[in-house]
Amino acid sequence: MLNTYTNNSTTTTKMQGRLSAWLAKHKLAHRPLGFDYQGVEILQIRSENWLSIAVALYVYGFNYLRSQCAYDVAPGGLLASVYHFTKIQDNADQPEEICIKIFVSRQRSKIPSVFWIWKSADFQERESYDMLGISYENHPRLKRILMPDTWIGWPLRKDYIVPDFYELQDAY
Amino acid sequence: MKPLINSLSNQKNSNSIILTTFNDFSNWARLSSLWPLLYGTSCCFIEFASLIGSRFDFDRYGLVPRSSPRQADLIITAGTVTMKMAPSLVRLYEQMPEPKYVIAMGACTITGGMFSTDSYSTVRGVDKLIPVDIYLPGCPPKPEAIIDAIIKLRKKVAQETYKDKYKFKQGERYLTLNHKFNFVSTEQSDKKLYSQLSKTQVNSTLDTFDSTEKKKNLTFLLRSEDNKKNIQNK
Repeated sequence: MLNTYTNNSTTTTKMQGRLSAWLAKHKLAHRPLGFDYQGVEILQIRSENWLSIAVALYVYGFNYLRSQCAYDVAPGGLLASVYHFTKIQDNADQPEEICIKIFVSRQRSKIPSVFWIWKSADFQERESYDMLGISYENHPRLKRILMPDTWIGWPLRKDYIVPDFYELQDAY
Repeated sequence: MKPLINSLSNQKNSNSIILTTFNDFSNWARLSSLWPLLYGTSCCFIEFASLIGSRFDFDRYGLVPRSSPRQADLIITAGTVTMKMAPSLVRLYEQMPEPKYVIAMGACTITGGMFSTDSYSTVRGVDKLIPVDIYLPGCPPKPEAIIDAIIKLRKKVAQETYKDKYKFKQGERYLTLNHKFNFVSTEQSDKKLYSQLSKTQVNSTLDTFDSTEKKKNLTFLLRSEDNKKNIQNK
């Protein structure tokens, strides 16, 4: 993942896909990250450009947010928020798909929420906030969804240390 | 064994009697109507729910599922218990009337199961929260295994005596530790921090420690009083 992220521009031109070309035509800042195993195009977008590009994607026809997830790239490294979009139409046979990745630093992990464009982002962004502490700006109710409200820390970050509660101590 | 009703309806032996102790009789009544609480947090409850249906039919053991803890005698902890669920589980257990029994169903409620090694939320065994009578292993256990556990619990109930009630007091049955979070701001000096830490360490130890300390203090006081008396006498 890190390798694809740090690719230079000579290799990225080779793996430019359809949507990357469309975005380039409309002068929207992005970086192609190649294709996944199913041939779905992956684009990296900077956090500050995300809202305008998200609107552009919606205009392009991606009306369905299939999944939103997040992961920790490396201990002490970046946090990633991943979006999968699909273009849903009547009698769609092989609908167009796209994967968006946004990398943010764990100190200033702010990403604009896409809730106001795709309503299904609501719980998924809340879960990403709960597990990794990525704060989605302009989210209507960004609070913990799985962990107790009183929990301290972000459990799925790689540098997370589990508190030594009596209940969590192993039985053996 | 002949059913009781036949002997009663038979007018010729109207003076039929049953010889038993009151203890056995009350135990028999209790074990024949172990009402479980409808409690389930994950996949184990699917197996438990199949007992409600006609195929495994636990009504024939007198188990009538109750939706209120106030009416339940038994809680079968079916499924993983997380830190978020733990206070609710303890509260449900506390709301059940005495005598009450717990069957820890499945690997998750015995040791944490497959979540026991690297989980930040799974309680490692429900016996850290409430006292468990029967451990029922499996992932998840088959309905037959649950029936087996219930039969074992019935045997346990049948052997209880009046004295057993006083063996465990409500307050001492399970360990409750209060989590003591202290927000330590970085502006505080190290001295303050260390003093706070040492305080919390003393506080977080168990009641037994406190009691022994009190005893020591008492003996010390007594000794000092003795010394005073001695001095005054002299």
